[in-house]
Amino acid sequence: MLDVKNIYKNFGDLKVLEGVSTQIAEGEVVAIIGASGSGKSTLLRCMNLLETPTFGEVWMDGKLLTPVDPYLHPEVIMASKTYKKLSAAGMSSEDAVAKIKAEDLINEKFSAAEGKEYRAEMKKIYDENHIDINLARQNMGMVFQQFNLFNNKSVLENVTLAPMKTRAKQMIKEGKSKKEVKEYFNGKAMALLNRIGLEDKANAYPSTLSGGQKQRIAIVRALAMEPKVMLFDEPTSALDPEMVGEVLDVMKGLAKEGMTMICVTHEMGFAREVADRVLFMHEGVIAESGTPDEIFNNPKHPKLQQFLGCVL
Amino acid sequence: MYLITMFEDMGKIFVKYWDLFLIKGVTATILLSLMTVFFGTVIGALLALVKISKIKPLKWLVNAIVEIIRGTPMLLQLYISTFLIPVIIPAMNELENKKILCISFTLILNSAAYVSEIIRSGIEAVDKGQTEAARSLGLNGTTTMIQVVLPQAVKNILPALGNEFITVIKETSLASTFYVGELMTQYHVIVGKTHNSLPILMIIGIIYFVLNFVLSKLLGVFERRMKAHA
Ligand SMILES: Nc1ncnc2c1ncn2[C@@H]1O[C@H](COP(=O)(O)OP(=O)(O)O)[C@@H](O)[C@H]1O
Ligand SMILES: [Mg+2]
Repeated sequence: MLDVKNIYKNFGDLKVLEGVSTQIAEGEVVAIIGASGSGKSTLLRCMNLLETPTFGEVWMDGKLLTPVDPYLHPEVIMASKTYKKLSAAGMSSEDAVAKIKAEDLINEKFSAAEGKEYRAEMKKIYDENHIDINLARQNMGMVFQQFNLFNNKSVLENVTLAPMKTRAKQMIKEGKSKKEVKEYFNGKAMALLNRIGLEDKANAYPSTLSGGQKQRIAIVRALAMEPKVMLFDEPTSALDPEMVGEVLDVMKGLAKEGMTMICVTHEMGFAREVADRVLFMHEGVIAESGTPDEIFNNPKHPKLQQFLGCVL
Repeated sequence: MYLITMFEDMGKIFVKYWDLFLIKGVTATILLSLMTVFFGTVIGALLALVKISKIKPLKWLVNAIVEIIRGTPMLLQLYISTFLIPVIIPAMNELENKKILCISFTLILNSAAYVSEIIRSGIEAVDKGQTEAARSLGLNGTTTMIQVVLPQAVKNILPALGNEFITVIKETSLASTFYVGELMTQYHVIVGKTHNSLPILMIIGIIYFVLNFVLSKLLGVFERRMKAHA
């Protein structure tokens, strides 16, 4: 479903992600744990391109979300001038590709410096595979630590805004009236609010809600797009302790229904109970990954042992 | 006892020329200010959009223009434009209101420069998380701007825009140098008849003060209402 290939992310000189790869299968629940600053949020935000990775690619359902990373495509490397120079100097094809990758020799990835052929190869891969990022995001919901409900909209409007703006046009084309479309989306939103027991807040504004209510609504707002995968970035970290449970319950319900979920979390109990797989991040890489049992009962990486010692 | 004489003179002059002060002067000042703020806001909004856009050369150009406008005196700009614009657009010379057109243009451009900064900072003050949430749902940049960012930015922008209106009312007085008929021009008109400067200046001062005081109180009420609804 989601294929993260060799992601690097630099913020200026700061190297935050240094080669992260993982595949997320349909229906899988993955928990990402790790110390603060280890790059968990950045990894999650690279998945839906709120941050553009410096290197690496993200694929969803066989579609490319990011720009093409030449280093992931030998045929692109072989079309470059740098490769031809190395070949001419007598280097074998394999060695040349490996050297270029290892030493980051294709510096000007998108410029003319590597020649026409190289650019044509890049463009071909891109054109054949890429999907518009807005379309892709419609299939990946995201829940933020700070909720980020739209302050200027009522709860109901928060939930209906994106479906209305992205799908109403098509429905009207298919012969539905504006009013029907609006009622349809309002009905769906009310059903979602009902599910979290907040249908009586439909006309309230975010500023009047508790943190737990806001976060549950933020989850429902993402669900209204009927996404294939949900990304959670520490959804309970900004909550008062007594509200953590209600948000985790909604997430557990989702997991039970088979939603594909990627959760950055400090709730080890939740990770242990709900996750199929746990990724431990340390200094920009996945330092260890495994089932909750492997990670929590038999941690191998010393930093993971240290981390669990602190949080458990 | 000079003060008492001056108050008497103020009374006499006001009674005799009240229509010049209140009808001609105030009306012209308010109209000029309204027009300046209206078009200044429209153009300022466009400039602000360029500033937050990703079109580098255009951004650079707008920033340069805004900095020049903000870094030179208004009076100088008024002088330059009354000479420069007719040179650039010779057709202007045929027009009867060429002076007022040049001056309006300068006032508007000047106001637009300040307004563009007000709007840009108002937009940038909206929490980034709002944009990220909208984009993460698959909304495009334009829809996000219209549905989520601008409605919240307006709350930051309107109060500052009110202050800009007050500034503009005061700045229109500079246009009196060119006898365009606003409040301060009436000083030149009336002093030509009475040869008694101070009472006229005092009257005009009071009128400006009352105008701006009332306006700022109104804005205050408006601002509180807006906050109450937020
Ligand atoms: N937009 C940004 N600009 C610069 N530095 C950033 C930015 N976002 C994150 N960082 C830095 O990247 C590092 C990893 O951050 P983050 O991914 O948020 O870690 P985590 O979520 O694991 O706590 C931190 O040192 C942080 O300061
Ligand atoms: Mg984080």
